[in-house]
Amino acid sequence: MKCPRCESKKISLLTKAPVDDAWEVYICETCTLSWRNTEGSNVTDPEKYDKRFKLNPAEFKELDQIPPIPELKK
Amino acid sequence: MAYRDLREFLDLLESENQLVRIKEEVMPEPDLSAIGRSAPDMENAPAVLVEKIKGYKTPVVLNVHGSWQNHALMLNMPKDTPVKDQFFELEKIWDRYPIKPVWVDKKDAPVKEVVIEDDINLFDVLPLFRINEFDAGFYLSKALIVSKDPNKPDSYEEQNAGTYRIQVKGKDKVGIQPLPFHDIAVHLKHAEEKNEPLPIAICLGNDPVLSFMASTPIEYAQSEYDFAGALKGEPIELTKSENGNLDIPSRSEIVLEGYIMPREREIEGPFGEFPGSYSGARLQPIVKITKITHRQNPIFENLYLGMPWTEIDYLMALNTSLPLYKQLKRDFPEVKAVNAMYTHGIGTIVSTKSRFGGYGKAVAMRLLSTPHGMPYTKIVIIVDEFVDPFNLEQVMWALTTRVRPDKDVFKVPYAPGMPLDPSSEPAGMHTKLIIDATTPVAPDFARDTELLAVPEKAEEWSKTLRDLVKKGGNK
Repeated sequence: MKCPRCESKKISLLTKAPVDDAWEVYICETCTLSWRNTEGSNVTDPEKYDKRFKLNPAEFKELDQIPPIPELKK
Repeated sequence: MAYRDLREFLDLLESENQLVRIKEEVMPEPDLSAIGRSAPDMENAPAVLVEKIKGYKTPVVLNVHGSWQNHALMLNMPKDTPVKDQFFELEKIWDRYPIKPVWVDKKDAPVKEVVIEDDINLFDVLPLFRINEFDAGFYLSKALIVSKDPNKPDSYEEQNAGTYRIQVKGKDKVGIQPLPFHDIAVHLKHAEEKNEPLPIAICLGNDPVLSFMASTPIEYAQSEYDFAGALKGEPIELTKSENGNLDIPSRSEIVLEGYIMPREREIEGPFGEFPGSYSGARLQPIVKITKITHRQNPIFENLYLGMPWTEIDYLMALNTSLPLYKQLKRDFPEVKAVNAMYTHGIGTIVSTKSRFGGYGKAVAMRLLSTPHGMPYTKIVIIVDEFVDPFNLEQVMWALTTRVRPDKDVFKVPYAPGMPLDPSSEPAGMHTKLIIDATTPVAPDFARDTELLAVPEKAEEWSKTLRDLVKKGGNK
């Protein structure tokens, strides 16, 4: 299984439904996207995920930190 | 007050035909966000209680604040109260600040009826769902989050109760967005300078007045709880958190306790935000959840936000307008009312009497130098004192019959702006647009105009007609 958004293969099962095993939720350990297996292919399928919202993990370290981490005070 | 907590408010809404129940089972996606989108589009929009969600145990309520009728009932007023009257009622009860809370023993606090410490899984308690298609996950969009300054652990006033977006990232892990100008960011900075975790409580399903105050820009050392008491005219009931000595509402439906992990950031977002567009992905703090407490048979409350107007626009409408009104009124006593409810005040309408020529323009410039108006307000419209700024038909009348585009419209280039406004370019800068739609007074002058007057007895008849409609037409 691949992450629909960043295509990482580090995917884990976040949870099963508390009632009736009705669905499963997965989470990408690389970009933290989570999705339910009952959602549409626009959300669950890497091929169909809107290109405007795709992410490239190589760029994550350049993202802004909010809020910035302050200097340690001794 | 007619209610003490969310569930009593839902009873009140139901008795006023302002709540509907969905009894058939629905899917988390796409049904819940579709319901949240559709409800506020209705006339006299109700709250919606969804009783059964596939795979979950807990019901969810949406759109609790999502109409002027529900907003009036929150303020203890008849549901057909016009917006302008709600504004002036809010002004009146605002001045009762502070009404201090009362503390309830943990053993008597409804929110402690069930305590979960082991094997925490947020999905066991919360019916989580995707709000907008390209959100990074399932979000808590209406939580009241309590934190204290770790350098002043005994300061009640500097404790903060605010609403920040929360992305669920694990069974016991969430992400949080404290923007640098938010009060919680001050607390986090002090904790991170010492490399200490910051205890927080994420309170869900709150008294509607608490959600309202958690979305209100008040001063750093003012207490949201004391304001909520003022608005209700009676104290809010608080209790202590299990850890971290925080003061939390004793009648919330569900409280998640935990701490922000110091000096760690992780990717969060995008999330569909209040201007009707997505905010990008950024590196933001992470929260470890260590305990869940909740009432028996809890109700989960969440908020859909989308292209305005949706519930969030009601939740930050009059509470954005009122502080601006008070700041303007101090220096310009002729100001009659302020409507800053378009996209959190990015568009603001002020009604004022003009003391001398050009007065409307001076009022506009003062608005643009208030703490909130400076970054947020981009478009200012000033109207005469007899124009109701909450009545857009009247405002359009003022624009069409009073504005001389060569004299009354001007821009302030390259001023402070609101980064979440996609037209802020670069993010954080705005060019301001000011439209003075007041009637010129000396030494300015205009062609003579005589206003049409309201017929005698109109007010009396207006009330009679409203009462007849309430009775169903008098057939």
